[in-house]
Amino acid sequence: MSVRPRQTRGLTAIDGAMALIVLLLIVQIWLLSATLESYLAGHREAAIPGAIISGILFLACLGLYLFVDRLDSQIRKD
Amino acid sequence: MFGMEFYVDPSRCIGCQSCLKACEECETHRGVSMINFDFVDRADSIATAAYVCWHCDNPTCAQVCPADAIKKYEDGIVGSSLKPRCIACSNCVLACPFGIPKLVPEYEQMMKCDMCYDRTSVGKRPMCATVCPSQALSYVTPETIAATRREKPVNTFWFGEQKITTKVFMMAPAATDAISIDVADYIWEGEHELAPQAF
Amino acid sequence: MSWLRRPSEAPLWQDEFSVFTADERYVNRRQFTKFLTLTSFAMLAGNLWILARSIFYRAPKYAPLAVAALGEVPVGAVKLFAYPSPRDPCILVRPADDTYIAYSQKCTHLSCAVYYARAQNRLECPCHQGYFSITDGSVLQGPPQRPLPRVALETRDGKLFAVGMEGERT
Repeated sequence: MSVRPRQTRGLTAIDGAMALIVLLLIVQIWLLSATLESYLAGHREAAIPGAIISGILFLACLGLYLFVDRLDSQIRKD
Repeated sequence: MFGMEFYVDPSRCIGCQSCLKACEECETHRGVSMINFDFVDRADSIATAAYVCWHCDNPTCAQVCPADAIKKYEDGIVGSSLKPRCIACSNCVLACPFGIPKLVPEYEQMMKCDMCYDRTSVGKRPMCATVCPSQALSYVTPETIAATRREKPVNTFWFGEQKITTKVFMMAPAATDAISIDVADYIWEGEHELAPQAF
Repeated sequence: MSWLRRPSEAPLWQDEFSVFTADERYVNRRQFTKFLTLTSFAMLAGNLWILARSIFYRAPKYAPLAVAALGEVPVGAVKLFAYPSPRDPCILVRPADDTYIAYSQKCTHLSCAVYYARAQNRLECPCHQGYFSITDGSVLQGPPQRPLPRVALETRDGKLFAVGMEGERT
């Protein structure tokens, strides 16, 4: 395991990715609560688009996490 | 850090032990000195050498610590053991090639030099370097060393096949680029006539 | 989850418990990002559960329940009953001489019991001041997002019967 003066260059990108994930999460939380409210009120048609969009948001979060992970191991490898 | 580095020149040590007393004054470890003070061959010589932790680039003590209690900080200083984590197992004591960490059984903790982190992190010199009258321990800029010393600073050590690079520099003759230490040289084989009477 | 990790020479434990504090920041960030992704998955699971329930759950047919006799409740007064199960409190209101209306008593915000405010002629929830219209249960003000589920009433032989429920139980 080599040793080097640690840089902070990768940190900004990771911070940005994390901030983006938090934003997506806020949207996802709202979406869940809105879908639940509409379902309980008897409007079952909101469930399908709600699930699809939640899935898209989750995949975006997953993609950002993998990006962070790859960046992290890249920095360590140098 | 702040452009200054730590330089050790054992040939300058006069054995006054000011470094020991100055180190002891630190509030966080009052009365326990972190200087490794060596009477090289006390029976036959007055030579002494004072050493601080070498703050290795890849610290062996930290790598072998089972409690993750030793950390190397971003400016290169290897800290003493973290009090909540150290379990006093002595792994680091045994592993350090320079023999720096000391286990203090009263506190159940390993203690070692951390280059007066509270001082060096704000640009002051460590206590030992501040009081050393012969500047065997000195904390100055590389330019000052180049201008005032004949010896050259070296921070690469070979222990057999193992290479260790450190943050602290050893002053060595000009042509030296690395210091090789054959551990076998330091194994006492008891040839001295006093050996049978030794403890 | 090793297949998700990019290959690195150091073993995982050395990465996660690095002796270099500079690396610890990365590990903490990575762990936090992992946690956020898991939270995102939990939200997705919630939405999928709602989807599954909307497809597969059909409210069972409940037996009609006799609530009150006509004339038993004075004008402007209420009667409490439980429909469709004993654990579902409902409130029957007679706001005018010939008007009977019944709703679930559980406020759609956080299930506090709503009461009939006679002076304002509306159903009120005391917990967070959510007000519901007496005519259709829609939200007049406050934190509730959906209207109060209405109980369908039928008059049979001079008695009021609860025969159906709005909302999820339709």
